[in-house]
Amino acid sequence: MLKARRRGKLWLLFGACAGLVLALAYGSVSGLMYAVAQTPARAEDRTPVTIDRAPQRVIKDRYPSFSAVAIDPEENMLVVTDENLFQILEYDRRENTPPSARLTEPKRVISGPNTRAEMLCGVYIDPVTKEVYVLNNDTQNWLPVFSRDARGNATPSRYLAAPHGTFGIAVDEEKQEMFLTVQHENSIVVYRKQASGEEKPLRTIAGSDTQLEDPHGITLDLKNKLIYVSNFGNAQVSPPGSRGGRRQAESYGKFEPPSITVYALDASGNVKPLRIIEGAQTRLNWPSQMAFHQPRQELFVANDADDSILVFRAGDQGDVAPIRAIKGPNTGIKNPPGIALDIKNGEVSVASMGSHAVLFFPVTADGDVKPLRIIRGGPSNQIALNIGNPGAVGYDTKRDQILVPN
Amino acid sequence: MAHPQIAAFARLANGGQAPLRTVYGQGSKLSRTMHDIRYDELHDEFFVVNPFAEAILTFRGGTSGQESPIRIIQGPHVKIGGNRLDVDPIHDEIFVPDARRIRVYPRGANGDVVPIRIIEGPDTQLTRAESLSVDPVNNILVVGFNKGERDPDNGALLIFNRTDNGNVKPRAVIRGPKSGIIRINQMAVYPPKKLIVATMPGLVDQMEPPNAFLGIWTYDDNGDVPPKWKISIGPRTTLKKPFGVVLNPKNKEVIISDMRLNSVLTFSVPEIF
Repeated sequence: MLKARRRGKLWLLFGACAGLVLALAYGSVSGLMYAVAQTPARAEDRTPVTIDRAPQRVIKDRYPSFSAVAIDPEENMLVVTDENLFQILEYDRRENTPPSARLTEPKRVISGPNTRAEMLCGVYIDPVTKEVYVLNNDTQNWLPVFSRDARGNATPSRYLAAPHGTFGIAVDEEKQEMFLTVQHENSIVVYRKQASGEEKPLRTIAGSDTQLEDPHGITLDLKNKLIYVSNFGNAQVSPPGSRGGRRQAESYGKFEPPSITVYALDASGNVKPLRIIEGAQTRLNWPSQMAFHQPRQELFVANDADDSILVFRAGDQGDVAPIRAIKGPNTGIKNPPGIALDIKNGEVSVASMGSHAVLFFPVTADGDVKPLRIIRGGPSNQIALNIGNPGAVGYDTKRDQILVPN
Repeated sequence: MAHPQIAAFARLANGGQAPLRTVYGQGSKLSRTMHDIRYDELHDEFFVVNPFAEAILTFRGGTSGQESPIRIIQGPHVKIGGNRLDVDPIHDEIFVPDARRIRVYPRGANGDVVPIRIIEGPDTQLTRAESLSVDPVNNILVVGFNKGERDPDNGALLIFNRTDNGNVKPRAVIRGPKSGIIRINQMAVYPPKKLIVATMPGLVDQMEPPNAFLGIWTYDDNGDVPPKWKISIGPRTTLKKPFGVVLNPKNKEVIISDMRLNSVLTFSVPEIF
């Protein structure tokens, strides 16, 4: 028995030596490619040891994270932006993913390095040309526009050099003007709808009086000539009359409650909001994209951190409760940053980022109601990881956990 | 990013495995663009910057859901400026880069506090300081430079003494074509071996830069020095655009977040530890 164990050890030693000789001969040890055996005298002359091996583990969501949604009811177009896989996806809005199905395949996908589209967070469909406008929130400072037929790694038909940190988009078709919110500057910029290249905005709303505080969603009431903007409440305090913006020498940061600020459609410069919806009764909790229902004169808000859709009256002001709220386990709403209204078919569609889904409800829906239809981009039992532009990573040594901020 | 959050995954999480907890929502006071996160084992706390509200947020280690930070450094005297930070739990200090300066705050501070030290001035060579990492054992502070779309010069690594203050010269500057540095994102240091571990994601406007890598230098490096080790992008590593890095010495792992993949990759790299 003892003899056999000794023989085993000898074989093990022989095997290890042979392996080492082979590895050295082929210049590789467990995927480690070494360059030169001897260390050079000067660090400047050294050749890096290249570590070229597969990762042991990869945390990755394989399915799209729907960050924004737009609808064209005439063509039954449903376009969603995907912040996880950097895609623009088109579905037929009438699709309904069966509970047993893994997902619904999109009709077309636009994605790739030629698209100038990456961290996507806003989308608009031109009602006439059916062109698709998308916004990059980060990493690419472009607003690319794609033709009705674009697919794959398509070059945009035109693109605008947009400010860094745009989030929401709304268009006044009558005046052919395009409104964008800019998180990084606490501003609203208004461009010609056909703007491209380095074209400058027609006007900007920004400054200490505007109460724009990390603006996100934007929607227009064209009948009453108003702009609605949702704010997360990450504010910059700057002297009265100043231009505002981040990192100004005289400004500093402050936390304010989330809010919806309202401006005149033609407002420009450092203007005060006409009114503000803000306070505990509003239930606002990271209010994201919004949509305005003109005939009903109602404001729909995707309330990200509350897993809800809130509906306010057009004229609401101050600390008011929403008139309706779609919320609860039956709704399937999880971290909704995007929302769109289909007035023709009486539906509200919700980009539910936390469940890889677009959910459809009647515009009159209230409470814990089931959606009329669901278009899923991933399996129903697969939770969305919501990792977006992970600029850092931490390690909690006490709990053995990897910390990933967006 | 449409949905700011901090997700905590098990070390052994793989694929689409759900996080064990997430921190998010109005109560958390988080924003997007949290380009750094640091865990302090000594006090069981973690730290992030909210750049939109110019605040340093300190959370208790096990924070979950819409829980609020336990301390907030914010106000007219604070002047955060940057998006990144590092924490020295031994000397109780927080370091924040802000382009032309490094501000140092007391770790336990709360409210509108004045920095206790500022490294700033022409001799510091600080112009585009965007990231940093502090070594409380060897008393070293390493600063990473960014390169914006319109910046003429490539990035660099500047090495200071941990206690430096005012207009001081860096001990060493790693910069130049051999270094391969275009810009530096999140960094880590490994005090036992005096190593600097830095992500180099390439040009900011390139979706898939051909020359991105994770580089490992030593505190003794100075000048146009290539990294000692390099984890490259490519089909084997699957990396495309490394943005974040943290070390797990206990398991001899390098953990990298990749922006282009929206993923976190764990590599076993025992040879550097």
